[in-house]
Amino acid sequence: MIQIIIKETKEFLRDKSNIFFFFIFPVMLVFLLGNLLANLDKAEEVIGEVRIHYGIEGISDIDFVTVKEFIKGLEDRKNFFFNETDDIASSIDLATDGGIDAVVLFKNDPMEIQIYEGTNRIKNRTVNSIMNGFTQLNKAVDIIIKNNKQALIDQPNYESDYIMHKDLGIKRTMLDYYAITMMTMMCFMSIMIGAICFMGERQEKTIIRLRIAPISRVKLFFGKILGLLPQTLLQILILMVFSSLLFGAHYALYLFDNIHLFFMFTVISFTMISLGAVYGLYIDVNPMAGILPVLWLMMFFSGTYSKEIVIEGLSKYLPIYQVQEAAFDLTIFGRHQKANTVIIVCLIISLAALVFGAMGFLRKEEK
Amino acid sequence: MSYVAVENLVKKYGDITAVDHLSFTVSKGEIFGLLGPNGAGKSTTLNIITTLTDFDKGKVTVDGLDIREHKAEIKRLIGMVPQDIAIYDHLNALENVKFFASLYGYGKSDLTRNAMEALEFVGLSDKIKVKPKQMSGGMRRRLNIACGIAHKPKLIVLDEPTVGVDAQSREHILNSIRLLRDRGATVIYTSHYMQEVEQICDSIAIIDKGQLIACGTETELVSMVTDVQTVFIKTKIPINFEKETFEKKIKLMPGVKGISEEDSVIKLDISVEQNNIGHIIQEFINFGLPIISIKSELPSLDTLFLTLTGRELR
Repeated sequence: MIQIIIKETKEFLRDKSNIFFFFIFPVMLVFLLGNLLANLDKAEEVIGEVRIHYGIEGISDIDFVTVKEFIKGLEDRKNFFFNETDDIASSIDLATDGGIDAVVLFKNDPMEIQIYEGTNRIKNRTVNSIMNGFTQLNKAVDIIIKNNKQALIDQPNYESDYIMHKDLGIKRTMLDYYAITMMTMMCFMSIMIGAICFMGERQEKTIIRLRIAPISRVKLFFGKILGLLPQTLLQILILMVFSSLLFGAHYALYLFDNIHLFFMFTVISFTMISLGAVYGLYIDVNPMAGILPVLWLMMFFSGTYSKEIVIEGLSKYLPIYQVQEAAFDLTIFGRHQKANTVIIVCLIISLAALVFGAMGFLRKEEK
Repeated sequence: MSYVAVENLVKKYGDITAVDHLSFTVSKGEIFGLLGPNGAGKSTTLNIITTLTDFDKGKVTVDGLDIREHKAEIKRLIGMVPQDIAIYDHLNALENVKFFASLYGYGKSDLTRNAMEALEFVGLSDKIKVKPKQMSGGMRRRLNIACGIAHKPKLIVLDEPTVGVDAQSREHILNSIRLLRDRGATVIYTSHYMQEVEQICDSIAIIDKGQLIACGTETELVSMVTDVQTVFIKTKIPINFEKETFEKKIKLMPGVKGISEEDSVIKLDISVEQNNIGHIIQEFINFGLPIISIKSELPSLDTLFLTLTGRELR
């Protein structure tokens, strides 16, 4: 089996087109997409100053105090500027013309909040998020007051105790985004290597010699599959190392997280190779026609090429999207849960594919 | 003593019967030619003998071992040289031969030695570092053979090993096959080049539509379709030669089927069984006809093959 693994690796590394498509091309894509599309796909938006006019009409005394405290807290952050107004209509006109960014009206008892949006999409999102946060907090405080008023008195510094600020530690760019998505792309593309590995032996007619040899077909099947793994590991390693060292792409902050990421992508590649081998054994359609279009579509709608192309209700069900999410969770936030789930699911799929593939290879006859 | 025995072999692909109650034996240490038109069932038969394909009915033994019961042992005895060149383009000659020999469980030192011997045998010992892409068609063919014999098989199956090679390479390949036989290997050989088969095969089987049509040595096969051989006697005809009397006398001799003359060459059709050539030559002398040369011709294997399998295109 070792001889087969060595042979596979030698063959792969000596094919110049493989070197380009599997090693150089993905690294180039990270660089090209990361730089050329940086202006289209911004990883971070600068919100800038947000100017809000607000009005207060008929709210309770407690709500009044809460609103005032909330506004004061935001003003302390130095980029939110609130002005109280009695002339809501004029303020709305001003927001429509872009003179201010939003108008917020706090009214009635129980309190209702009306937001009149301005012209800037990002600032509108910001105002909505903040007011949504305020509403949730207000509701929570209401519930506590109704059930256990003493809790608020006993925990005066609840905000500092319960809200933790986490510094990401790295200034993220689009290079980081594409380093992950290109890695995901290459791992999923491993299905093609798996699909053509037996097709290649058949085309070169060497499959006959392999099958005549006194080596069990199961060993042969596993040898071929395992023989494809070193080149995939090399491919992941090269992409990680070169995109970081040459272009300054960032993965995770800590070494352990990066090892976890590498392991996750290795397992995904192995799964894809196994699935490809099953395809190659059972389906007689050229994988370029049978697999590649599906893969491209999946990648397209998973935000692999642009993070803006994500379809609500579809993308999150695509495996590529899920893998990218797991990778981002790991690299940006240091969270391992999704990555672990991906690894477990992939191992189960690999096992099933290997059993299914070995059975098929065992039964297949040369005509 | 038969080394390979095929008895009542049947192989079907759906409704198509590729091999239909086929039986033949291959003696130990002989070169056995398996002939047949395209689609006759040659490849299926070879695939069955080499354990690549299972069969529906019948029995196949190699070296006395039943192919179904002793598949693993039989695999070790067989070396296959497929019709299509089955080598890896990205590995050099030595790496190719070593890889295929390694599948037979050889250790590192044995592997290199056997691979070198095989390459030397096919005349490629000076090309060990050359990749197949840089080789000529004939060299690739010879490498294809080396890959099939490096593990020193006792039964070598060669499926059209000389397709598309130049005269020198062909001669080298045919001599190598003879040498393999002389070293004790049993060879099953298929080819569409009848001349090659005539040249190297000790016995021949012709199959068509999955059935055995004829089997035996070349002479035995020829005698199956005709008992007439043609003898050409070149002479110098004197001025006073009594042609009619001479021809009448010869025709009356037992075994003579016909006589004709053209440009001082007398053509005689005579029975293979009642070969009367000695008496015929005596009559030439009696009539004062000097014998310059004698040439005898049996129908060629080509003619025999076409007679047995038909001339229509398939």
